[in-house]
Amino acid sequence: MKATLKIDTVLNRFAEAVGPSLPIAIEGNRTRWGLNGLLKPGTSVISAPSGLVEYKPEEMIVTVRAGTTVQELDTCLADHRQRTSLPDRGGTVGGAIAVGHNDLHKLGKGSVRDAVLQLRYVSAEGKVITCGGPVVKNVTGFNLHKLMVGSFGTLGFIAEVTLRTNPTPLRQLWIQTSMDPKIIFDTLQRPSAILWDGTTTWVHLEGHPPDVDAQYALLTKSGKVYESETGPSLPAHRWSIPPVDIFSLEKTLMGRFVASIGVGTVWAEQPQEERKLDRATLTITERMKKQFDPTSRLNPGRNLGNWS
Amino acid sequence: MSFIDKIKNLIKPSVFEDVFVAELVAALSPERVRFDATERFLHSHDSSVFDEGNAGPICFPITTREVQTIMRISEKHGRSIVARGAGTGLAGGAIPLGAPVVVVMTKMNKILEIDIDNRVAWVEPGVINLDLSRYLQPFGFHFAPDPSSQQVCTIGGNVANNSGGPHCLAYGVTDAHVLALEIVLPDGEVATIGGLDPEPVGFDLRGAFIGSEGTLGIATKIAVRITKNPPTVRTLLLSFSSMRAAAETVSAVIAAGIVPAAMEVMDQRITIAVESFVGAGYPTDAAAVLLVEVEGLVDGVQIDASNIREIGFKHGATDVRVAETDNERELLWKGRKTAFGAIAQIAPDYYLHDTVVPRSALADVLEKVNEVAERYDLIVMNVFHAGDGNLHPLLLFDAREEGMLEKVHAAGAEIMRISLDAGGVLSGEHGIGIEKQAYMDELFTTEDLNHQNRLRYAFDPQCRSNPGKILPAGHSCADIQSLKNVPQGVWG
Amino acid sequence: MDLKLDSEELNTCVHCGLCLPHCPTFRITGEEALSPRGRIRLMQEIQTNDQMVTKEALASFETCIQCRGCEPACPSGVPYGSLIEQTRKTLVQENRILPRWQRIPYHVLTRPRLLRFLSRLLTIANKVHLIPKRFAIPKNIPFFNKPLIPSGTDVYLFTGCVMDAWQRETHQAGKRVLEHLGFGVTPTGDRVPCCGALHTHAGLGTKAQEIAENVINSLSDNERPILVDSAGCGAALKDYGHLLGTEEALAFSSRIFDIHEWVEKHIETFAVSSKLSLRVAIQDPCHLRHVQRSHRAVRNVLEPFVDEVIELNDDGLCCGAGGAFSIFQPDLASKARDQKIAVINEKQCDVVASANPGCSMHLQQGGIDIRHPMDIIDEAISLKTIPSDL
Ligand SMILES: Cc1cc2nc3c(=O)[nH]c(=O)nc-3n(C[C@H](O)[C@H](O)[C@H](O)COP(=O)(O)OP(=O)(O)OC[C@H]3O[C@@H](n4cnc5c(N)ncnc54)[C@H](O)[C@@H]3O)c2cc1C
Ligand SMILES: Cc1cc2nc3c(=O)[nH]c(=O)nc-3n(C[C@H](O)[C@H](O)[C@H](O)COP(=O)(O)OP(=O)(O)OC[C@H]3O[C@@H](n4cnc5c(N)ncnc54)[C@H](O)[C@@H]3O)c2cc1C
Ligand code: SF4
Ligand code: SF4
Repeated sequence: MKATLKIDTVLNRFAEAVGPSLPIAIEGNRTRWGLNGLLKPGTSVISAPSGLVEYKPEEMIVTVRAGTTVQELDTCLADHRQRTSLPDRGGTVGGAIAVGHNDLHKLGKGSVRDAVLQLRYVSAEGKVITCGGPVVKNVTGFNLHKLMVGSFGTLGFIAEVTLRTNPTPLRQLWIQTSMDPKIIFDTLQRPSAILWDGTTTWVHLEGHPPDVDAQYALLTKSGKVYESETGPSLPAHRWSIPPVDIFSLEKTLMGRFVASIGVGTVWAEQPQEERKLDRATLTITERMKKQFDPTSRLNPGRNLGNWS
Repeated sequence: MSFIDKIKNLIKPSVFEDVFVAELVAALSPERVRFDATERFLHSHDSSVFDEGNAGPICFPITTREVQTIMRISEKHGRSIVARGAGTGLAGGAIPLGAPVVVVMTKMNKILEIDIDNRVAWVEPGVINLDLSRYLQPFGFHFAPDPSSQQVCTIGGNVANNSGGPHCLAYGVTDAHVLALEIVLPDGEVATIGGLDPEPVGFDLRGAFIGSEGTLGIATKIAVRITKNPPTVRTLLLSFSSMRAAAETVSAVIAAGIVPAAMEVMDQRITIAVESFVGAGYPTDAAAVLLVEVEGLVDGVQIDASNIREIGFKHGATDVRVAETDNERELLWKGRKTAFGAIAQIAPDYYLHDTVVPRSALADVLEKVNEVAERYDLIVMNVFHAGDGNLHPLLLFDAREEGMLEKVHAAGAEIMRISLDAGGVLSGEHGIGIEKQAYMDELFTTEDLNHQNRLRYAFDPQCRSNPGKILPAGHSCADIQSLKNVPQGVWG
Repeated sequence: MDLKLDSEELNTCVHCGLCLPHCPTFRITGEEALSPRGRIRLMQEIQTNDQMVTKEALASFETCIQCRGCEPACPSGVPYGSLIEQTRKTLVQENRILPRWQRIPYHVLTRPRLLRFLSRLLTIANKVHLIPKRFAIPKNIPFFNKPLIPSGTDVYLFTGCVMDAWQRETHQAGKRVLEHLGFGVTPTGDRVPCCGALHTHAGLGTKAQEIAENVINSLSDNERPILVDSAGCGAALKDYGHLLGTEEALAFSSRIFDIHEWVEKHIETFAVSSKLSLRVAIQDPCHLRHVQRSHRAVRNVLEPFVDEVIELNDDGLCCGAGGAFSIFQPDLASKARDQKIAVINEKQCDVVASANPGCSMHLQQGGIDIRHPMDIIDEAISLKTIPSDL
């Protein structure tokens, strides 16, 4: 028995639109359009198909086309009190995966890369490729689906994904305090976010209601704590650093900042200095790009590692 | 044939091998390079049932630099390499094909750094999984992936196979717990992939490397995430009078939106075998038992535990027992984790399968698996990571019986098809190795496999790292070529 | 080469590897050839393939400490001990291992007077540094020993060979403890000079059988329990049933008790009035833990007499003493000891208790303060005679 493509016409039409030649770019909702280099002018731009393909709440998995907005997905999952780890900031599912940035509740929701179970993309040859598998645990073959997360559409255009969902905790609560965020991180068992702007700390608690109350009570024991409507507003630039580095970093480099404690994401007024790949990693990166997109037709101008 | 090759053919092939081995010896040390028949025989096997291994020289490096040198010497001589951890792989990942250099990582077994603030530990790949968790115990942390072989398998092996374990249901498999890797590429270059920061720059090469079964290079340092020990743990043991009832309970727990830390099922035969080894008080008269663990804060644990209990009874549980002490809990887990080994009490050989199916299909698939076993007149036992639909049907047999192996393989193939038909995949944690290559094209198209090979190629353009694995022949780049590179008869 | 192994026993191994971390030589080297699974795989191969009787394969068998740590770890119940004993026996018979000169010391063991004489020579030679350090000979072998005087006929105390010559003080202590519990003790003394354990391990199985028959004959005039304060001897004596395969031997083996097992059985009769202020770490001799599997008794009898009993965090991994192992494989033996010392040093303890003379001597060489549990209990009991107002 050979695997045959059970790919619907929508994906096939998308593959045709991508085609096998000429430069082409893909857009989601352009919420992260400016990241990683500017698109070569004159490139034609398409977008991924959208729509829910299949949702099995009892399996805790959902399959959607990449052009679906994260918001639509969330609305659909909310009916069954479920959610995914994708961040919703107005973008599409495909965009969120292509960018690979995690939600600010990463401690509670998990990371984007862990959510992707199966993925279909259209290759530079204009073919639909399937990778991963539609179950929650899988080590069958190479992890192409991991490679696609955060690859900014430079290896293939994401068409459809199967994501792991999780139960949405019954109770969620933002609190605000001036306590040392390090102490909070060590005290709490599983906060879903701890954000710190250098003076104030916001903590997002979630879980079974009595657990949330207990954690809240635990914090009130060591300092003054207030309930809060929301978390802080986030500056525009995103940094990625080892979690404890935030305490030693020269704050003037960042301007106003909000750091995610225990994670290492920092939102700051100033952009992070360019991060470099080591030589061997760069070689692999270049070879990877050559393998998947020999003529550099996919998202030309976007660049993750300075390939030529 | 080139002129040089012609000359080479005139000279006895062993001469080249002598030079090759001599270079390895000079680079490491005589005690850490072996090429005698005994060592080669031993390193041609792992825990799998495959017999076709053929090891070349065996090296025991102790530093990254030595691994680099081994890679470079091998490249120079056009030879392939295969990394080996504790050799507990079940899909034949560490079995050397075509007399490659076997690079045994067990002597690189230092825990290099524990960084509690960043929740990271840097380890060498030969560190045994359980040793790390034990080391972390006084700090109140552990390494979450806990394969049943955790007392012996290496973290390098875990990375290569993206291993799972009972507690990966809530925490995720190895992939979710590895932040960065130092790897030596087949050409001897060192790359550090991933990072301690949450969104490292560039492609997720770490994600590509994990689960690649040693085909992309050798991991020489690993940064793993360490996980805080939960304040409360509750272990429940549910007994059932049918396997269907147990499987349906599992699906119902998941459907109710509860994700326990672990959910494991054992059938009656396994339970009896295990109980006679550990004496943990497993009910030997139940048709199936379900071991569930919930952990977290005390109230939530209480709520989840009592919900699970209720769901269990609703789906036909005959008894629900809660482990009262740590000791009781440890014994129950010891039983679960030694289950495969305990099989030999029943038959001398077993073939352990590993497929994943949607959790709602568990009960049906298990019934079909039993039908297959019956048809082939084989004993089948089931012990599996039920929470994530990861089946482990074990076929028991005596390899000394004529025609037995063929029968077992045929039955195994049917089990795989049943799983695929139910919407599942070929392997949940043991990997493809040489075991399931032939089935890859039932899950993937030629084009899909071709793309997987591209990923491989980017790391290892000559396909010298663990050739002949994962991708079926015809889909892997230069595999065939590197398998042929060994002079005939030298290592035969 | 037919190793004369039971093929059912041999085939029980499914190569899962779960025994590997419990094997001291694997722990030290990380090498398959020095692991139980490797050794078993070689036995299996050698059965049908003469080519595999290589010097490397023989080394694999010779480096096995026979601690049998792999046995309780094996969920399949592979009887590794009997496999390796039979393998070595066949290889010795075929003159593939244990050259004749190495067999000489084993003859001395069954001749108590010669043994004591040689011991004294050894002590002197050692004191004047005539013996190279790698031959790990203990420094404190006593020159003279007070005789062990019988005190009754309730139980035998098995005194053995080397232990009687080198550590008779412990026999004295054990005897006092038993007497304290109200038992009259007959030391077996020169009547049964040796249990044959070391012979069995070395592959001198036939000699071991001879010794066993002699022991049974000498002690079968009555049905008295035979108590043993050396874990290695106890394990060997309990195994006579298997070694000889006779009803008589089986019946004899059922009379054997490790001294701690016996004391534990009668622990209620102990009136404990004084504790030693000691934190005692327990080093489990392999032949007590993995073979007799009665190591719990040591804790239970010690607990009432000391401040704290401390567990070592290594699942009873072998210390490398292994009877004559430390003499023939000094390198592996000292590395195994280093591992043990490292886990001992992890704990806050005043003294280490070990119920086997071989382990004690071996660890003492590594600078560890180590005593037999009986010595500790004996001291605690003797304190009792001191008035409590002091
Ligand atoms: C004000 C603001 C705040 C934000 N805050 C956060 C935050 O806190 N956390 C967070 O994680 N994110 C944040 N984001 C980013 C955003 O949520 C995600 O990055 C977004 O989901 C990207 O989706 P998009 O559809 O807008 O992609 P686009 O911006 O359209 O595209 C981004 C990149 O992905 C590529 N791409 C898009 N679709 C595909 C596809 N189907 N296949 C392959 N490549 C594709 C594009 O070519 C482009 O290179 C924020 C964005 C804005 C505007
Ligand atoms: C009784 C038993 C129970 C098991 N239970 C589980 C279970 O619950 N879950 C599970 O997932 N697996 C399980 N396994 C399978 C096996 O233990 C795991 O796959 C384990 O991770 C293999 O580790 P190892 O050190 O033995 O690797 P090996 O078997 O030596 O090697 C496995 C693969 O990893 C590669 N490799 C090893 N080290 C490196 C390195 N440093 N760099 C690159 N590649 C490397 C090898 O080339 C090979 O392809 C079990 C096996 C047994 C025998
Ligand atoms: S001896 Fe037992 S534990 Fe060791 S490999 Fe064989 S079956 Fe497994
Ligand atoms: S007896 Fe001891 S040394 Fe020998 S294989 Fe077993 S565990 Fe290893």
